[in-house]
Amino acid sequence: MERKKIYSNWFIVPAMVIFTVFFLLPMVISFFFSMTVWDFNSFTFCGFDNFKTFFSDTSLSSSIKNTLIYAILTCGLKLILAFFLAVFLTSKIKTKNFLRSVVFFPNLISTIAVGITFCALMHPSKGLINQVITMLGGTGVDWLGNTKTALYAVILTDVWKGVGVATVIFIAGMQSIDKTYYEAASIDGATGWEQLKAITVPLSRPAMNSVIILAFISGMRTFDLIWAMTGGGPGYVTEVMASTVYKQYAAGFYGLSTAGNVIMFILIAILAFPLQKFLLSREVD
Amino acid sequence: MKKKIVAVFLCAAMVTGMAAGCGSSSDKKSETSADGNETTELTLLIDTDVTIAGFEAVAAKAEEEIGIKVKIETRPGGADGDNIVKTRLASGDMADLCLYNSGALLNALNPEEYFLDISGEDFVSRIDDNYKSAVSVGDKVFGVPYQSSQAEGIVYSKTLYEKYNLEVPKTWDEFLANCDVLKENKETAILGTFADSWTAQVPFLGDAYNLQQSDPEFAEKFDAGEAKWATTPAALRSFEKLADTTQYYNEDYLATTYDDGCDIMANGEAGHWFILSQALSNIYELYGDQVNDLGVFAVPGDSADDNGITLWYPAALYGNKNSDKTDAILKFMEFYLSDEALDAYSEAVLPDGPYCVKDYEMPDNAYDAVANDIQAYFESGKNAPALEYISQVKGADCPAICQELGSGQTTAQEAAQKYDKDCEKQATQLGLNW
Repeated sequence: MERKKIYSNWFIVPAMVIFTVFFLLPMVISFFFSMTVWDFNSFTFCGFDNFKTFFSDTSLSSSIKNTLIYAILTCGLKLILAFFLAVFLTSKIKTKNFLRSVVFFPNLISTIAVGITFCALMHPSKGLINQVITMLGGTGVDWLGNTKTALYAVILTDVWKGVGVATVIFIAGMQSIDKTYYEAASIDGATGWEQLKAITVPLSRPAMNSVIILAFISGMRTFDLIWAMTGGGPGYVTEVMASTVYKQYAAGFYGLSTAGNVIMFILIAILAFPLQKFLLSREVD
Repeated sequence: MKKKIVAVFLCAAMVTGMAAGCGSSSDKKSETSADGNETTELTLLIDTDVTIAGFEAVAAKAEEEIGIKVKIETRPGGADGDNIVKTRLASGDMADLCLYNSGALLNALNPEEYFLDISGEDFVSRIDDNYKSAVSVGDKVFGVPYQSSQAEGIVYSKTLYEKYNLEVPKTWDEFLANCDVLKENKETAILGTFADSWTAQVPFLGDAYNLQQSDPEFAEKFDAGEAKWATTPAALRSFEKLADTTQYYNEDYLATTYDDGCDIMANGEAGHWFILSQALSNIYELYGDQVNDLGVFAVPGDSADDNGITLWYPAALYGNKNSDKTDAILKFMEFYLSDEALDAYSEAVLPDGPYCVKDYEMPDNAYDAVANDIQAYFESGKNAPALEYISQVKGADCPAICQELGSGQTTAQEAAQKYDKDCEKQATQLGLNW
């Protein structure tokens, strides 16, 4: 173990400089500025007032709740859908390769384009979705206008767009499972469902964990899709942390928006790290 | 050994990459301005929501007469646009001229830091006094009006009014009664275009004349932090009016955009639309003379004797203080206010209301709604600027709050409280002692 190191420690300096200048320093500075009222020229220290405002103002604090709903639902839906899609796409079907590209395709489109397209599809009177519903005899839903459905409509769009990546990760995980397990199981008379439960699920755990973590964090940080589809409206029902921070910044409340960013950072950190720890602890080899 | 060399190379590449990344911002100065006789080029940052036909006409004239050419850079409107303006100001990367709101929103930009003070120039005396105070901070004046002012009121369909025998309402109750008639006959009583959330504010902001009539000191007390929207009955009334409109909107009003709205009004498919009178220009561009089927009346108050309209002041052109072409900027501003430029402007775009320039008469060929309806409020002196041109503080989240109230998610009282909170944030940012 006492082997001499090949490289001197100085080699990490360039990377550390970049990391410090562009990540550590801004982080420390933003902690400071989140406790001030500032414009670009001057600042006044105000303690935790910005954080207080953030939590007491319902229009701001509701964004925290929406973010959590958004992250948990997109994460859960992507996980379940992608798992079954991957099972289907690793089975013996003829058009496998074609279907795999179809599933991945939505992910190649720019999020803004997806947002605008779905906005048009979900238009209450002119949108394709509602026209199909009325043609089949149902009554259309005001997807993005109704305060009760707006957030979920955006979530479904996000799932449509994001499920491809999750599926690809799952496929990679499932393909690396040794075929002999399935053979042994089927000789012992296990049904397909039992094989799925006892072999596929536990052995694709590492893939599952990556999917959960990735989907959860991207759900927490989501901004572009919300901005393209609803702009946080109607009112505040689809406002998430990132869009709130952006709006406060656009309004010129730099201190408040920095505080929002700090809250978002802390929230992601305290949720994502334990989540990852928990998931890793349950992985089997 | 090989590995070591590769590592050194990578290291060097990283460092040079960093240096290159930092050093690319200083190559802007290369375009030296041409000398006196040649044309000088100014840049203008403008949002894509305003009509530029009039400006282009003036700019073409300016190039001929005073040798100044204006190159237009566009930015989006709304919050995204605000963001661009603020970022470009802060980073010292603003164009020579900048189009931005007058009134409270200008105040929030910290104009003394960034914009050219024009109070010492002769041409400033041509600007209408009320407007001048909307583009001033202290005794410093910063901007010249970009276009004509507008009325912030209700555009109504004369066709539907004739069909159902309605009369222009004098009080809010009469207005609601008219809406009921339209609703009973399965017409869209009030057109909502809330997909563009700024339009949701109009019923609330357009009530400013009535507010100032019933509580003349509100703006002053509000700026001082003494009066609040939620606790001042006259101010709360504006929110209540917005709440009253909720039940009359078209079914898809949360997905209808401003552009859709122009189509709907032009085709007589809705009775009323709370909007700025610039919509008339947009409709005229698309539908020509159909614009004359529309009329305008003010947001009615509670008393039939006092009907006045709320004025919306145009955005202003501001000069970049740190530009190296300040002489050309001032020269262009002076030209922009000359009769010649105004003639060129109104030839290209008909006015949506009176100009904010002293002694300049509106052309005769204005739309009916402007020439008859809006002009009448002027001749009788019954008009007042919107509150954000008098008060220093406007809540930044006003569109979302109004959208929320207009879609029935909150009550007037709750919306007023939210708005108070929002204004408080603005006041803190401006350093007012509330």
